[in-house]
Amino acid sequence: MADRKTLQAVMISGHTNPSPGFAMQRDLEVCKLVDTTTCIGCKACEVACVEWNDLPFTPTTFDNTYQTMPETGYHFWNLIKFNEHQNPDGTIQWLMRKDQCMHCADPGCLHACPADGAIVKYANGIVDFNQENCIGCGFCVSGCPFNIPRFNPSTKRVYKCTLCSDRVGEGLEPACIKACPTGCLKFGTKDDMKFIAEERAKQLRDNFGWQNAGVYDPQSVGGTHVIYVLHDATDPERYGNLPKDPQIPWSYTWWKWLFKPVLGTFALFGLLGVLAHHVTHGPRVPQPEPPKKDDNIGGAY
Amino acid sequence: MSSRAIEHFDDKARETFEHAGRTTVYGGELLRHPVYTRILHWTVALFFFLALFSGFGIYLPWLFRWFTPIFGGGQLSRIMHPYFGVAFVFFFALQALNWIQPMLWAPGDTRWLRNIKTIASGEEKMDPPDTGFFNAGQKAMFWEIVAGCIVYLITGIILWAGAKTFGRISVAISYVLHDISALIMLGGIFIHIYLSTIGEPGTFHSMIRGAVSEAWAWTFHPAWYKQVTGRDPVQACEEARRQMNAGSKS
Amino acid sequence: MTNGWIDIKNTDMMLIMGGNPAENHPCGFKWAVEAKIHRNAKTIVVDPRLTRTAANADMYVQIRAGADIAFLGGVIKYAIENNRIAKEYLVNYTNAAFIIKDGFALPEDGLFSGFDPEKQVYDKKTWNYEEGGDVAGKAVAATPAEKPAPPLAPGAAPPAPALPPNVAFDLSLQHPRCVYQLLKKQYERYTPEMVERITGIPQEQFLKAADLFTSVRKDGDMKKVATIIYAVGWTQHSFGTQIIRTAAMLQLLMGNVGRAGGGVNALRGHSNIQGATDLAGIFDILPGYLKMPNPADVDLATYIKRVTPTQSKPDPWESFNYWSNTSKFTVSLLKAFYGPAATKENDFAFNYLPKIDRNYSWVNIWNDMYEGKIKGIFAFGMNGVMIGPDSNKNIEALKKADWLVVCEIYADETSEFWRAPGITADDQKKINTTVYRLPGAGFAEKDGTFVNSARWLQWKNAALPPPGQARLDQEILATIYLKVRDLYKKEGGKFPDPVLNASFAYTTPYNPSLAEVAKELNGKALADLTDPKTNTTIKAGQQLPGFAWLKDDGTTACGNWIYSGSWTEAGAMMQRRGTEDPSGLGIYPNWGWSWPANRRVLYNRASCDLEGKPWDPSRRQVWWDEAKQSWMGVDVPDFKPDSPPKDHMGPFIMNPDGIGRLFVPLAGMADGPFPEFYEPIESPLANLLHPKQSNNPVVKKYKTDMDKYAPVGGDYNVICTTYRLTEHYHYWTKNNPMNVQLVPEPFVEVPAELADRMGIHGGEKIKVSSIRATYIAKAMVTRRIKPMKIDGKETFQIGIPIHWGFRGIAEDEGKTAKTLANQLTPTVIDPNAFTPEFKGFLVKIEKV
Repeated sequence: MADRKTLQAVMISGHTNPSPGFAMQRDLEVCKLVDTTTCIGCKACEVACVEWNDLPFTPTTFDNTYQTMPETGYHFWNLIKFNEHQNPDGTIQWLMRKDQCMHCADPGCLHACPADGAIVKYANGIVDFNQENCIGCGFCVSGCPFNIPRFNPSTKRVYKCTLCSDRVGEGLEPACIKACPTGCLKFGTKDDMKFIAEERAKQLRDNFGWQNAGVYDPQSVGGTHVIYVLHDATDPERYGNLPKDPQIPWSYTWWKWLFKPVLGTFALFGLLGVLAHHVTHGPRVPQPEPPKKDDNIGGAY
Repeated sequence: MSSRAIEHFDDKARETFEHAGRTTVYGGELLRHPVYTRILHWTVALFFFLALFSGFGIYLPWLFRWFTPIFGGGQLSRIMHPYFGVAFVFFFALQALNWIQPMLWAPGDTRWLRNIKTIASGEEKMDPPDTGFFNAGQKAMFWEIVAGCIVYLITGIILWAGAKTFGRISVAISYVLHDISALIMLGGIFIHIYLSTIGEPGTFHSMIRGAVSEAWAWTFHPAWYKQVTGRDPVQACEEARRQMNAGSKS
Repeated sequence: MTNGWIDIKNTDMMLIMGGNPAENHPCGFKWAVEAKIHRNAKTIVVDPRLTRTAANADMYVQIRAGADIAFLGGVIKYAIENNRIAKEYLVNYTNAAFIIKDGFALPEDGLFSGFDPEKQVYDKKTWNYEEGGDVAGKAVAATPAEKPAPPLAPGAAPPAPALPPNVAFDLSLQHPRCVYQLLKKQYERYTPEMVERITGIPQEQFLKAADLFTSVRKDGDMKKVATIIYAVGWTQHSFGTQIIRTAAMLQLLMGNVGRAGGGVNALRGHSNIQGATDLAGIFDILPGYLKMPNPADVDLATYIKRVTPTQSKPDPWESFNYWSNTSKFTVSLLKAFYGPAATKENDFAFNYLPKIDRNYSWVNIWNDMYEGKIKGIFAFGMNGVMIGPDSNKNIEALKKADWLVVCEIYADETSEFWRAPGITADDQKKINTTVYRLPGAGFAEKDGTFVNSARWLQWKNAALPPPGQARLDQEILATIYLKVRDLYKKEGGKFPDPVLNASFAYTTPYNPSLAEVAKELNGKALADLTDPKTNTTIKAGQQLPGFAWLKDDGTTACGNWIYSGSWTEAGAMMQRRGTEDPSGLGIYPNWGWSWPANRRVLYNRASCDLEGKPWDPSRRQVWWDEAKQSWMGVDVPDFKPDSPPKDHMGPFIMNPDGIGRLFVPLAGMADGPFPEFYEPIESPLANLLHPKQSNNPVVKKYKTDMDKYAPVGGDYNVICTTYRLTEHYHYWTKNNPMNVQLVPEPFVEVPAELADRMGIHGGEKIKVSSIRATYIAKAMVTRRIKPMKIDGKETFQIGIPIHWGFRGIAEDEGKTAKTLANQLTPTVIDPNAFTPEFKGFLVKIEKV
């Protein structure tokens, strides 16, 4: 994987031609594994993200929580969400989930994006924003089921976690992974991470009494390149609004890719229609019409 | 605003704009659109097309992104599009106030619509005698634009402010409604342009010079002709025909 | 730590209590996670708050702050009653079988035998082993009447009672005065009902926790291992040392000490606090935990006699009693201190050493300064005002000082104590303290070693030079020293010799290199030395390979005997970066260097049974090799290498009795040979075990006008504890925008039920008052701290992170109230380690 060719684009937003990287390399897809059952909420990943990406410091305000800010920002792409979940027996489960771009196999942001090359999906699975091409329409925000893309009003561009595509392209792990002290974050191929995650979930079910432990890799977006191990995979919402069944709005799927061109063509039929009318019926002219000089000639045919 | 206040506003606007421009009405012609109406029409038209073309690249980028360079690229297209749209809606709103009286639906309009096949096919050379200042087709188009503008405005503001303010689902729905509104209006605009140019010759002048020939008036808007001249449009037409025939024989 | 950070991965069970490693030691917590993932290890967290550590635990138990001994005592009782103990280990490796003197009394009324209520101290002569041999099956012999003491020289103090060389014992553990029976009796009172009343932990939950923790020793099976992990949540009590003792006893009972994945593990709060302790950062020790001389030590021989323990054991057993080498360590230290000026003739300049006449611990220094007895203070790398306790008292103390020298990297509260809130411009004019602020260097700007909690010396290189006028600590200190020496040279003075004769032979005396200092600590030969056993020779001037070479005849110099072996002729062992771990136990023998003797797990002889075979063959650390007649190991055996198992030498070789002490005889502890539960000095209720003796009897309250203590049943009825956050490091990071971004402002964690009752909403400012001062911060209303039923009465606990003061980013921007958490805390200390009681004092809260 330690090769730049994994950064060949296989999907490009708003693009006319097929993507150059499509089916052109055999490297495996990468994946970030977040084991929420061993996350200690230390925020090292938050700091690493800000440091590696040279993001500016954001003034924050105390908000009755350990969470750094209410949600990720255009210059804060990685946020641990803290949630106090009350179990039916009254005990409290303090949940910490690292929130960032999920790098969906079927990215809603990319589907929604109207700008050529503003959002690309690389062969290794990373979904990356190219702000050069971003037109700032914000449709990606609407397309994303995970509430991730963030609009910066001063640059009029949208930003999010890059999965450190700059590092991964050079064969390094993302900065957050490198900083994680407990090993709750892991990075590798999707297959490997999926395997480790399932093993861990099984361990949690068999040995630690979490009967509903499981892996979060939602198939409704084709799977993601960030996967979670959850204590209770039946209720991901408790981890700070992790959607149980993330959906890309149909506006950006079949509406955009089927109905838009079809209906657009119908609208063009309007133009054809009136021209046809002119040809077949001719114009309606004010009456009385002046006598046509070539009436007789017409009759000669 | 009460309807009286609207009228007052429009009257005042018409009066003001009459000083800004000139409408020459020659013999055998009738005043159709005053300066104010014509300026509004072309302003609306301008912003309509700016919005339309700047929207194309966003509508279906893989097909239409060659529109965006016209506006200085994707970013500027996206920045300008909502402003074009707002201007379009604003000026059309003025036009709507200006025209609301003649655009009100009349019983004859329903008959006109029922008859549309014979009219459009040219079977009937002249419009039905109760066709007033605007025919039912024009009125339908007008009200479609009014409705479209409301949809544009609501969905446009949602899209403009974005998912952060209105939520991703309302943006997604607005995205579709905005498109539908544009598609309908785009279809309508073809008919409008056709009929006002080569489809019904003489119409174009009404929006350029503001005047139309009497023949145009009795042919397409007989009731209006009757209203402004006091003469019967059919008789006037027959009279003209006789004169024409006489002229051609001499 | 008896074990080490990495070793935690070898455990099967973790009891984390009095510590919050996930938040305060996140990198080390990795090994706890490894144990969970690779060994299915379970975690029990007992804490007043549901912390981030608790969030990761399999079981979280909310306890009242300060009730730890009641909980642990209850677990000891549970372990004994349910046969969750390591019988063979207990009998052979602890003093369970030792007979205690007749006349020793358990503290059923809150007091052990020998208490002097006037002086608030114990006469510990009954806290001793009985003399005699095996008493198994014999009738209980009464302690023979004390022999009349030999006549004393006039004016001399009576000799301190000593341990008997031949200890009476009963391997059947049936003798009513044997340690095991006394222990059983001591904790009989700690019933689940009593535990619930004291700690607030419902019986059911307590029993579940006790069952889970002791389950590793189900039916006495020795394969599994449990570890206990703690930090200052235990030490910072007026009975802190005894909490740790209780944990140690539990671990000895269960046979978990000395074993991979076991032990009693202190997580140190700073990167180098272990190093500071090793090098005598405390007033009552010299480097290497040698005792500080006192005025009665008139010469070296007297001192050595006083501080060198003598063997005390059952006759058939052996005891290595490694401290019998004290004279070698001491003389080598004196040679390192004073070089050629230390000669045999002048007692190796023993008289140069200062003698301590009283308690000079942290709290007492500030108390003395407040009372005008101390005129100046050097504050290097510590923010005394913030640290507290009772920051206001410390500020007042500094006002009375003549001078203050602060070496820091930021403008801190101590150097700007005169700007504390409440001090007006007029007040400032009345403060005559001269403050010298020296620009220090940050940790990344210095080289040298950190000694971590696992006792590893790890060399680090400077990452960048100190900015501007900032100087390295050693440069500042050496410059001051050389200046002082010049003054002594010029002006003489009362006793110039120690200063003039101190060894200071560094290549660049004004800025000694730390590598030279490290070599000095390791020690070198001053004459050619030969070991007759191996016939190896060390030439004069060469670095010593280890402390076994130290001599008490002045032929060796060693700055700290426990570091001997860290920088040898083979090179800087502390700089090694070998990542080999052949055993897979995380020993990494070639990474850095761990004291003593690069041994990673202390007392590792105890990981084997009597025959020298490991209790768990899959975690083999050391073992007896019959063929080689030697102890072998993947770790360095913590034992006399050639002592065969049949000799029955005790595995705890630093103790004169060679065993793990369930009962601490004589002067070991100030407040009792067994831990007893006492209430914190400020507590909402009287001790349920003995209401008449609620607090630790030997703890003294301070008597200045500023020392106030909230009584039981007063207005102050909310229990408060203080702590640190992952996002901040003490009082530095409030100056770093990154950390400030993560947690911007001070806050107080308040139980939701209490907040509801008081109409407090999250994010609103509240006022927390103790009887001493008031602290203002925003409320974090949380369900992670629940109301507790203490003796049936609803009781609330709140928590305050300590990181904010009156200088820092948020402070300077006027976003905080500029009050200090430690303004609230009481001046009271643990009688053994002299640590202030920060965890568990009384407050009340109000809306602002």
